[in-house]
Amino acid sequence: MTQTITIDPVTRLEGHGKITIYLNDQGDVENAQFHVTQVRGFEKFSQGRPFYEMPSLTARICGICPVSHLLASAKACEAIMSVRIPHTAAQLRRILNLAQMVQSHALSFFHLSSPDLLLGMESDPAQRHIFGVAAARPELGRAGIGLRRFGQHIIELLGTKRIHTGWVVPGGVTEPLSAAKRDEILAMLPEAYANVSLALAAYKQIADRFQQEISVFANFPSNYLGLINEDESIEFNDGALRLIGPTGDTIENGITAQRFTEVIGEAVENYSYTKFVYYKPLGYPEGSYRVGPLARLNIVKSMGTPKADQELVEFKQLASGPVESSFFYHHARLVEALYGIEKIEHILADPQILDTHVRATAGVNRLEGAGQIEAPRGTLSHHYKVDENGLITWANLVVATGHNNNAMNKGVLQAAKAYVKDGKFSAGALNRVEAVIRTFDPCLSCSTHAFGQMPLAMTLLSADGEVVDRVIR
Amino acid sequence: MNQTFNQCLILACGNTLREDDGVGPFLAQWAEEHWRDDPRVRVLCDHQWTPEMVEEVAQAESVIFVDCATDCEAGLVRTMSVEPAEDNTKLSTHHLDAGQLLALSQQLYGAIPRNSLLLTVGAGSLELREGFSEVVDKALPDASRILEEAVRRFLDPSD
Repeated sequence: MTQTITIDPVTRLEGHGKITIYLNDQGDVENAQFHVTQVRGFEKFSQGRPFYEMPSLTARICGICPVSHLLASAKACEAIMSVRIPHTAAQLRRILNLAQMVQSHALSFFHLSSPDLLLGMESDPAQRHIFGVAAARPELGRAGIGLRRFGQHIIELLGTKRIHTGWVVPGGVTEPLSAAKRDEILAMLPEAYANVSLALAAYKQIADRFQQEISVFANFPSNYLGLINEDESIEFNDGALRLIGPTGDTIENGITAQRFTEVIGEAVENYSYTKFVYYKPLGYPEGSYRVGPLARLNIVKSMGTPKADQELVEFKQLASGPVESSFFYHHARLVEALYGIEKIEHILADPQILDTHVRATAGVNRLEGAGQIEAPRGTLSHHYKVDENGLITWANLVVATGHNNNAMNKGVLQAAKAYVKDGKFSAGALNRVEAVIRTFDPCLSCSTHAFGQMPLAMTLLSADGEVVDRVIR
Repeated sequence: MNQTFNQCLILACGNTLREDDGVGPFLAQWAEEHWRDDPRVRVLCDHQWTPEMVEEVAQAESVIFVDCATDCEAGLVRTMSVEPAEDNTKLSTHHLDAGQLLALSQQLYGAIPRNSLLLTVGAGSLELREGFSEVVDKALPDASRILEEAVRRFLDPSD
């Protein structure tokens, strides 16, 4: 007789998810699945809307990374308009994207994951949250809050609002940067550097305690996808995608937004509303890959900023080829946060950064457009089709959590096999299965979208975990 | 911690697209106008109260939290003192309540404001629309007056 263990809901993630672990008669793990249980429907209800509404519409998918959707959407709109945005607008958008990345990575590390890392996976769940961190390591609590405030305040300075800012529009941005705001951002940099340095030092100090977790937290060879510049440095706004294989060799380079659907496909599984994204030439699931901080640092040869470059060298020493364990997403996230702060400083020194020409204007010049960027969690793509009046007839969003979906499921199964034995588990063991998901920092709000029929299953479990009834549609 | 010190912080939250949940932003906007020329009063407003606000709270001599309430009759304007929360086991990453913000302020900065007040207006409706229900609309002048009195009391206790 089989048993089912369900973790519902998964805590300290963005959005709602469920994990089901299937045991065999011996009580050993046979299978595990990560279910995303949300439905959003943005691709459907945006049909009929004017294309230029899409940035602000799709930004409402999420409150953590609305900037990512603003930018990817604006780029898709600009492809429809056939415009190239002014240099200053491109630089300002870079600052916005980097600020968002810093605050998002700070949320992931300090609020969502540091309770496990600092307090231990077996610690009292009643204390394993930001208050517990604040009590144990108040300087880290302050650093996390400081980094989030840094990123959010830059977003507010540029776009008036911290969340769902409206400043990014098709063609550029609505307002140039003032000298006063530039100086205000520059004044925030020293504290930001101090906070991220503290976080990196703390992480490196404690990471060694988690050798067991490192070995089983989605630790397997995989492909990796991310944007890259021609000089092989990291890129978040432009460039083209590169896919590398498990040994680090390039599988495909130069995947532009226009070529995205040629090479990237989406599969559907009946246990989740999130699709499973894969590289078409290798098929599904062999063409699955990872995106996000771990993938980006595996793909690039440099960060392009001095401090982050030093950290990248240290990061790459974790393995002889690509770093495989998803535990190291935490490390990669902090390196990227450091890069973000450095790059913002670098961009603000651009002599054209205060230029007032920040927007190009045009109407519909193509009936289809696509845009892609690197969001904090990984590659994000928006693809639209419009009619002659510019009304959306079709929209598809491929988000980071979809790209990572197969890897997350494999990771959950790997961790479950390591920590659930003979049908027995501890609260810490279950937390580790959740913690694997948290390394990917998935944002489940984005990742659920329409594709034909919606699978829906309800499983009724008795008190001792036996399945007593199931309804499937 | 930055050295800025606010005598009175008005910290409002709410969503203007959810009818009476817009009470916080409305009173925040009223306060911004009312104390526009008074540097002793600082007004912050956002959709939710988040951990990132804790430094502002720690730096304030007095804080007035402003929000709608769903646990009382519609249109009722209430004020109550707030203490740092003792039970912080039920937390959201995106939203803290007033007591939790005070507790985090104490934990991280060893400081909380000398006066902490929560001002709420009972919600009549939280539908997806802008504007207020009739009963809350009628209560807003009263809420503004009570907010003004509270700020005056905190700025000048001898008054």
